[in-house]
Amino acid sequence: MAPRTDLAARTDQEIVVLARAGQEAAYRELIRRYERPLFSLLYRMVRDRELAEDLAQETFIKALNAIESYRPEYKFSSWIFKIANNAAIDHLRRRELDTLSLEGSPHAETPEAVEATALQIGDRQESPLDAVEARELGGQIEQAIAQLRPEYRSCILLRHVEGRAYEEIAEILGLPLGTVKTYIHRARNELRQALAHLRE
Amino acid sequence: MNGDFSPLHFGPDELDAWLAGVRAPELVGHVSACPECRELVRAEEALIGQLAALPLYAPAADFGERVMASVRIPDPFAIRALQGARRRLLASRRSVAIAATVAVVLLGSMAASAAWTLANRDTLLAAGNWLAGEAGRWAWVGLRGAALNLIEQPWFSGFRSLVDAPARLAVASGAMSLMYVSGIFALRRLLAIPTQRVAHANG
Repeated sequence: MAPRTDLAARTDQEIVVLARAGQEAAYRELIRRYERPLFSLLYRMVRDRELAEDLAQETFIKALNAIESYRPEYKFSSWIFKIANNAAIDHLRRRELDTLSLEGSPHAETPEAVEATALQIGDRQESPLDAVEARELGGQIEQAIAQLRPEYRSCILLRHVEGRAYEEIAEILGLPLGTVKTYIHRARNELRQALAHLRE
Repeated sequence: MNGDFSPLHFGPDELDAWLAGVRAPELVGHVSACPECRELVRAEEALIGQLAALPLYAPAADFGERVMASVRIPDPFAIRALQGARRRLLASRRSVAIAATVAVVLLGSMAASAAWTLANRDTLLAAGNWLAGEAGRWAWVGLRGAALNLIEQPWFSGFRSLVDAPARLAVASGAMSLMYVSGIFALRRLLAIPTQRVAHANG
């Protein structure tokens, strides 16, 4: 079995080969690499912590149990983001959510449920003041993203939060390249307008 | 610079090019001359910076374990065995030809068998009935033969007189049981591992 440090230096494709050979450590490495990006994308799409975890879990289980069907000529990240995005869009089609709450799910009915669904920000080291400021600015950006149409939201998150190329986004979302570019421009226009008061 | 000035405002393509770091003279000329586009690129750059600075969120600490509990990991030994068999099978043209022939013969015979079975159900039923009857007849003949053989043994009359008198049978059974138990005890004693240390065993 390859040690963890060795796995960390390998490409996704190499890790997938090891996973297909039955190495449990390779599965864990894939989860380690993608749990935060996938969970962040899903949280920003559905705006409910518990639901985002459920969708992220569903995504990983679906992807890892079907790892034999993954075709190595595509990027692993595109494949797993596609599964995650489909899960989020399917959910959003079933259920419409309107507002983002950094403090907890809008559907939480008790204080415990609000706390359970509240966001836990990842690995940033900030002073309390920085954290409050970042939370205010970040919160307003998150609110503005939440107001976008789901298709625009996926595009803008993948492009400017995840840093994916236009072509990869088109592959993930199954959309023509031109449509992806249009969605991203429109999403940025809407975000600029929503955040205009911050520039004044 | 002003000679490269483009009178048209930035469209999506020009904006994309600018944000990707392209500084073509006509773009630079237009931005420096047009306050509207200058403001646009400044706002876009600020927005992209803010989006890129958004934090990554972490799922619960036990997330990975929960996922792993539902993931089916293939058995590496089975995979290796399968890969080894596949390698050996595809090692030469001859082995591929043999494997293909065996596969064709097996599949062909299975298909022929299935087809014949479907086409000759009545024949199969009759054959089955005949085989069952024959098997029963031969079993009865065998049983009768074994019983006759037993009766003709020289010790059978003694055994029969013993069975006829229940008291004698009980005594004989008791004696045999006692002998059996004694034999078991004797065997245990013989096979027991000594627990006492043997003097000078270590030299």
